[in-house]
Amino acid sequence: MRVEVEDLVLRYGDVTALDGMSFSLEGGKIYGLLGRNGSGKTSLMSVLAAFRKQTAGRVSVGGRPVFENGEAVRDIALIRDTGEAVTIGTAEDALYFAEWLRPSWDSEYAESLMELFKLPRKKNVKEMSKGQRSAMGVVVGLASRAPLTMFDESYLGMDAPSRQAFYDALLADYIAHPRTIILSTHLIEEVSGLFEEVVIIHEGKVLVHEESEALLSRGVSVTGQAAHVDTFTAGLRVLGERQLGPTKSAMVYGELDAARRRKAVEAGLELGPINMQDLFIHLTGGSS
Amino acid sequence: MRGFPTRLLAANALITAMLWAGFVAVVAIVAVGIGLFGTLGRSVWEPASQFVRFYALFFGIALVREWMPLYLAHGRTRRLFGLHGGITIALFAPFLAVLAALAYLVERGAYALADVPQNLDRRHLFTDPLQVHLVLAEYSLQYLAWIAAGALVGAAFYRWEGGGLLVIPLGVVIVALGEAATGDALPLIGERLGLALPQIPAVAALGAALLGAALTWMIVRDVPVRNRA
Amino acid sequence: MFDDRSPIYRQIADRIKAEILSEALKADEQVMSTNQYAAFYRINPATAAKAFQHLVDEGVLYKKRGIGMFVSPDARDMLRARRRETFFAEMVDPMIAEAKAIGIPLRDVVTRIEELGGDT
Repeated sequence: MRVEVEDLVLRYGDVTALDGMSFSLEGGKIYGLLGRNGSGKTSLMSVLAAFRKQTAGRVSVGGRPVFENGEAVRDIALIRDTGEAVTIGTAEDALYFAEWLRPSWDSEYAESLMELFKLPRKKNVKEMSKGQRSAMGVVVGLASRAPLTMFDESYLGMDAPSRQAFYDALLADYIAHPRTIILSTHLIEEVSGLFEEVVIIHEGKVLVHEESEALLSRGVSVTGQAAHVDTFTAGLRVLGERQLGPTKSAMVYGELDAARRRKAVEAGLELGPINMQDLFIHLTGGSS
Repeated sequence: MRGFPTRLLAANALITAMLWAGFVAVVAIVAVGIGLFGTLGRSVWEPASQFVRFYALFFGIALVREWMPLYLAHGRTRRLFGLHGGITIALFAPFLAVLAALAYLVERGAYALADVPQNLDRRHLFTDPLQVHLVLAEYSLQYLAWIAAGALVGAAFYRWEGGGLLVIPLGVVIVALGEAATGDALPLIGERLGLALPQIPAVAALGAALLGAALTWMIVRDVPVRNRA
Repeated sequence: MFDDRSPIYRQIADRIKAEILSEALKADEQVMSTNQYAAFYRINPATAAKAFQHLVDEGVLYKKRGIGMFVSPDARDMLRARRRETFFAEMVDPMIAEAKAIGIPLRDVVTRIEELGGDT
């Protein structure tokens, strides 16, 4: 399901949440949507799911504008921690109505997920723990089998085993029923392996949109004697530096060709990878 | 599911019928209590049925606060919700009226067995609960207005939070107009202004409900799903 | 060395190569699918597919359309030949450098090698 966003603006009163954002997703992949708090992740997904009407700009999913477009929105599912997709009576009720409202709902699969997460069927969803409610969202989001499925921090309150179960279920179901999935998360290290592409947004704009592997290959840490590190990194984009006595480690962002790498080795510098979380932190302005 | 809110109506009808049965049982106990410790000479259901109006009000609120976000979260449009919401209000009000009429009849039967008169205190379109068509007409119209008022107030609070307070007077007007369905002059306001609309109670109540529904639609037609729970 | 940074797809490729060298995977045997690898490593299937594509490009695996990936008949010989080429540079030279740095006489190293490898 192709997703196109063009000059998208969303304002809440005086606050500009999305500030002329543009990007397009080819679809059929798992995308990571990363951004700091207040960067506009939830706003973006809410507009994509027609939860909100944009202030300006264009959004299309599968080539169709989404707001109040029945043909388009039936193919879209957004699960947020506000729980609007699940908080209606008991867990059983929530599934009963999801089955009725969702065109490609898979009841059997929903039941198996309920068991996977050990969710009480007769319990009122509003009275569930935060983790259980998040798991309900995951059940409904996955069993909806919507061609565009979005999870906005759908792990909140879930313990580590449940999160792992979520990631495994998501991956298995994506393999069995390929579709476009967008995940927003702050637990980057846990899920970054699932992403085929990553979109990093910052202050309402797209900062990076890359294939995950390409993004990772762009980040290099350079460690060695401070003076040598400085000489080597001169002219490169340095995201951050840390120093321990005479040793310095710099994070460099950009392609390093073979000649440059050889130079580093000759200068006795160690080159290493940077994980996605560190790259994200430094690309979005450091750990302040 | 396309055109008709089957499960929305079915689920609510079921729950409401169960609550109704429980409520009727409570009313029966009260009636028995009055009979034992005092003199039972009038309908107890008549005053008790006032609660049903508030149930209708909350049903209208829940329709917007709970059901609308559910529709939107499951890939349905505000338009479809509007259509289903309209159908739901139009069918749910008579359904509540049927339950109210049934309660009168149950009471009538029980009173007959105990040889107690089922006198009515308030003014109605009907003079005897056996005039079932008039009972249904009056209560349907009244509940229609109450549900519509609930939907309107619910929509205003959903969209503007505290700003919804400003809409409450409108809700009161709709409910007051709905009371015209009893065949009375406009209660409170009407008596004071000397207005009398006994000939057109249905028009007033129906108009009020339609007004409430229309205003609700104006509020929700492009309402954002709230970012906070 | 820079190439030590191992993206996940290199890890997968290394694993498969190791299995071929140890003959856990034999010539013309089918390897697990990209999806099975993806699920096992909790990674995107596209990333796993990339690992397989590398191996196909290197001639270690071959693809049967619609069936899956298989070990090339000459994969093991090829991998062994390639490992032999880099054996001294990657294994022996660093060992000698390390021995020198920490003061182990080379004679001791040779003795150890002869002890362990005496039977071959």
